[in-house]
Amino acid sequence: MPTLTYLQAISAALRDELRADERVLLMGEDIGVFGGAFKVTDGFIDEFGPDRVMDTPLAESGIIGTAIGAAVVGMRPVCEMQFSDFISCGFDQLVNVAGKMHYRQGLAVPITVRLPSGGGFSGGPFHSQNPEAWFMHAPGIKVVAPSTAADAKGLLHSAIRDPNPVCFMEHKHLYRRVKGEVPSGVFETPFTARVARPGSDLVVMAYGAMVTVALEATEDVDGASVEVLDLRSLVPLDEEAILDSVARCSKVVIVDEANSTCAAGAQVAALIAEKGFEDLDGPVVRVATPDVPIPFSPPLEQAVLPGVERVRGACRELLAY
Amino acid sequence: MSSSRTETLVDVTMPQMGVSVAEGTIVAWRVEPGDRIEADATIAEISTDKIDTEVPAPVSGVVAEILVPVEETVSVGTVLARIAPAGGGAPVADRPPPLDGVTAGQARTETPSPSKTGNGHRRYSPVVQRIATEHGIDLSQIEGTGRDGRVRKQDVLAFLESAAAEEPPLHIESPYRPEPLAPAGDGGGLSRIRRQIGEHMKRSLDTTATCTTWIEVDMSRVEAARARLGVTALSFVARATIDALREHPALNAWLEDERYTRHTEVNLGIAVSLGDDGLIVPVVHRAHELSVEGLAARIRDLADRARARQLTPDDVRGGTFTITNPGQYGSIMATPIINLPQVGILDLEAVIKRPVVVTDAEGNDSIAIRPMTILGLSWDHRALDGALSAQFLATVKRNLESVA
Amino acid sequence: MATHTAEPAADGAAAVEHLTTEDRIWLLRAMLLMRGLEERAMTLYRQGKVPGSFYDGYGQEAVSAGAAFAMGPEDRLCILHRDLAAHLIRGVTPTRILAQYMGRATGITGGRDGNVHFGDRHLGCVGMVSMLPDMMLVATGMAMAFKLRGERRCALTWFGDGSTSRGDFHEAMNWAGVQKLPVVFVLENNQYAYSTPLEKQFAVDPVERAAAYGFVGVTVDGNDAEAMFEATRAARERALAGDGPTLIEAVTMRMHGHAAHDDMKYVPKEQVEQWRKRDPIERQEARLRSLGVDVDAVRAEVKATIDAAAEEALAAPMPDPATAVDGVFCEGEAEPLGDGNAPWSGFTRSEAVA
Repeated sequence: MPTLTYLQAISAALRDELRADERVLLMGEDIGVFGGAFKVTDGFIDEFGPDRVMDTPLAESGIIGTAIGAAVVGMRPVCEMQFSDFISCGFDQLVNVAGKMHYRQGLAVPITVRLPSGGGFSGGPFHSQNPEAWFMHAPGIKVVAPSTAADAKGLLHSAIRDPNPVCFMEHKHLYRRVKGEVPSGVFETPFTARVARPGSDLVVMAYGAMVTVALEATEDVDGASVEVLDLRSLVPLDEEAILDSVARCSKVVIVDEANSTCAAGAQVAALIAEKGFEDLDGPVVRVATPDVPIPFSPPLEQAVLPGVERVRGACRELLAY
Repeated sequence: MSSSRTETLVDVTMPQMGVSVAEGTIVAWRVEPGDRIEADATIAEISTDKIDTEVPAPVSGVVAEILVPVEETVSVGTVLARIAPAGGGAPVADRPPPLDGVTAGQARTETPSPSKTGNGHRRYSPVVQRIATEHGIDLSQIEGTGRDGRVRKQDVLAFLESAAAEEPPLHIESPYRPEPLAPAGDGGGLSRIRRQIGEHMKRSLDTTATCTTWIEVDMSRVEAARARLGVTALSFVARATIDALREHPALNAWLEDERYTRHTEVNLGIAVSLGDDGLIVPVVHRAHELSVEGLAARIRDLADRARARQLTPDDVRGGTFTITNPGQYGSIMATPIINLPQVGILDLEAVIKRPVVVTDAEGNDSIAIRPMTILGLSWDHRALDGALSAQFLATVKRNLESVA
Repeated sequence: MATHTAEPAADGAAAVEHLTTEDRIWLLRAMLLMRGLEERAMTLYRQGKVPGSFYDGYGQEAVSAGAAFAMGPEDRLCILHRDLAAHLIRGVTPTRILAQYMGRATGITGGRDGNVHFGDRHLGCVGMVSMLPDMMLVATGMAMAFKLRGERRCALTWFGDGSTSRGDFHEAMNWAGVQKLPVVFVLENNQYAYSTPLEKQFAVDPVERAAAYGFVGVTVDGNDAEAMFEATRAARERALAGDGPTLIEAVTMRMHGHAAHDDMKYVPKEQVEQWRKRDPIERQEARLRSLGVDVDAVRAEVKATIDAAAEEALAAPMPDPATAVDGVFCEGEAEPLGDGNAPWSGFTRSEAVA
């Protein structure tokens, strides 16, 4: 099985989909001739041509809106927002047109929106966001967030093949830092959670880049057996896996790189408080970025994003409770 | 809202002229009681914040009464007048009822009743309380190693493990404890295990208000399915019972002194005969998670281990309901004794072919030969009533008679 | 800045060669059905049977009737709230439309959305959203797919004068112009966006914006159904030939308020009177009478249709509250839009005409 980077896995998934299904169409700014701001689609235009690897005008609302139109007449558009932050320009089309269409009119909108998200490299307030919570809150939109190369490929295949609008949160920081074995060919990873490391004394729940942070932070916390649950799918949320981890471990730390208020972790915490209450041996603890725009200068940015030390400290404290 | 007097009268109501409009004022009435009016003709003029407009009559007929005078302001939906419909066609349907608050599809989990917190000043977390209740542990006995001496889950589990070495199991005694020296005397008398079983049975009858209810079940579909799957009828009865316990959770409970605790999980005890050594009731924990085949496998395993004297104390603890199945010796009914502190026990006797009356779709009766059995439920009248017991049995019967 | 008023005569003449008498009766019927249904629905609204708000296109019927009539079965439409005739031409029944207004289970959205926020996907129509003109981008996207796949079909959307002030108007116009897409943009300039008149909405006549985005813009008498038809037919031909989009500015007047709760006191009475004389239905009736058509018979048939539809719709059940949370996601295969009716005789004649 080949070892690919997270980015290579995404490229491989897109390539396999373009080859397997003539309805698939990539749309985004600078993805064609330039190969994409992060080179995800480097070389694609040579194999698939400018019609299927489309360089669009600078118009996020236009990208999402036209993708919706193409989707309802039988295509499978995969839109790229150059940075997840720019989805705010296409918010209306995604939430009001795409998200609500099936409920209102019975008309499916099979679009995928790739959202390079997250910070950690001095991107500043407009190139570092994790906007998934906005879309978890909008009915009719699915949201997935892979943390490994294999999941990046498998979840992207599933997202493209899903008949609903799917936000694919690909974390920029993981593009070249995460490598792993990735099966060749098309395979679909279900929208469920994954136990990244089993344990019994405490479970850390995280997604995206925070899974790597969680694993590193809890490799050895005073010898305790710490489980790490990779949520992977935010809508639908894998309630069964979450409650199962709570039942076995009884102590929970939830990590969000997104701003704390109403982040995905807040929803997980509420779920646990309601349905996992009887299994808790301590308060549900959250580690998240405070409610600030992500700052640019490295000491400021490192101070706000959840790092290994902060996560380890929270685990240590809860284990002793 | 309409009384019998107005049953045939049609209401004319204040319309909502815009989403934010909440009331309107009558400016003028175009009719008087007794006047004839045609459907859609103007019956009144009204004024609202947004617009002055007219109200058309909903039906043709005769104006029966006018309820709101000119210059009075009323809320949207208020009945302004009533018309007795005549000659203009059927009365228009009433305003459809508003949507209720939506709770469809959002199943709520049951919150179990809280258990005792032991010493007043100590607080125990939900999982610690739950484990303590399940195993009958007095939390005040436990040293806490958490912050400020808090009792952690690990502390309770550790306590259980060490206690397990000394304390006897809560329910039917394990037969593996060494026999004391045989009592002096005639070499006869009851064995220790026999005496302990007897004491438990006697205590049950003395404590509970035991009643027994029976129901007949047509086991045709079970017989067909079990032949296909290669399992016993007991597995099907177990699964049907579990489903019935989920529907009637009052029977999946413990009653200890005054304390009544319902359980969401079903830990199903299955009575296993040990021949001369009496009987023992190993427990299928979390039985609700198992299919018929899963149950069959677990029951077989527990029975094998029971007879080979390989059960652990955990295997006999924590049962929430018991099934007893003495086997196909031909006996048809029994009055089982409740396994304290549970509140119900189900007895499965022989399955015997009988002639029964069957009714077809057109209502014709005929005689058919069906494998029938009689299920007996002994239940504690302190915790529930006969009606509920009967309903429970009816559910078990329904489940068994609709096996795929 | 003023808006043009197209001269009716020239357009009327051009339409004749493409329309049979039967076609012209179809146009009248569609407009009468639209007006009659909206009047009936307004009565039902005042009787408390139609919840929420109610919008109509009184006086603008030709804009949707004429344009929709030029659309082929495989073309796709994004229809707006004053374009009821388009739904009727595509094949939606009057009963379902009234049931939709009353929030019944048998309405097109099953009570999920209200008034004209519907589109029968089986007939190639996409239901509108309230954020205008979002649907312009959806139509542009549909046209984009047609072009990518080399298909001879077009997409059409209606939108109002007010909505041209929003970003999506410009993103759609630009995108359609840059990619030279087979899309027809029908701008319903009905003089007011709620209470906002044109002079507060734009600094240039919006038809001039077409040139700014690289394609053709035409102004048409929006109250002449046959002129609307001809302009749309020509735009469609342009699109199918690969010559890109067209902006059709249909000049008309909104004769009722923005919605049922608006009495449009802000509109000068003289303006209303002037436009009343140009009523699209009266004009089409005059045309047909001069051709010897029994217009009263058409009116009677339409009235009977509406009466029957109202009775049937009033008997329809309300939706089951237990289903309120169903259908948020598609669970099976995503089905694309289906084909709609296309009654214009030009579609059944040889391909050379279309």
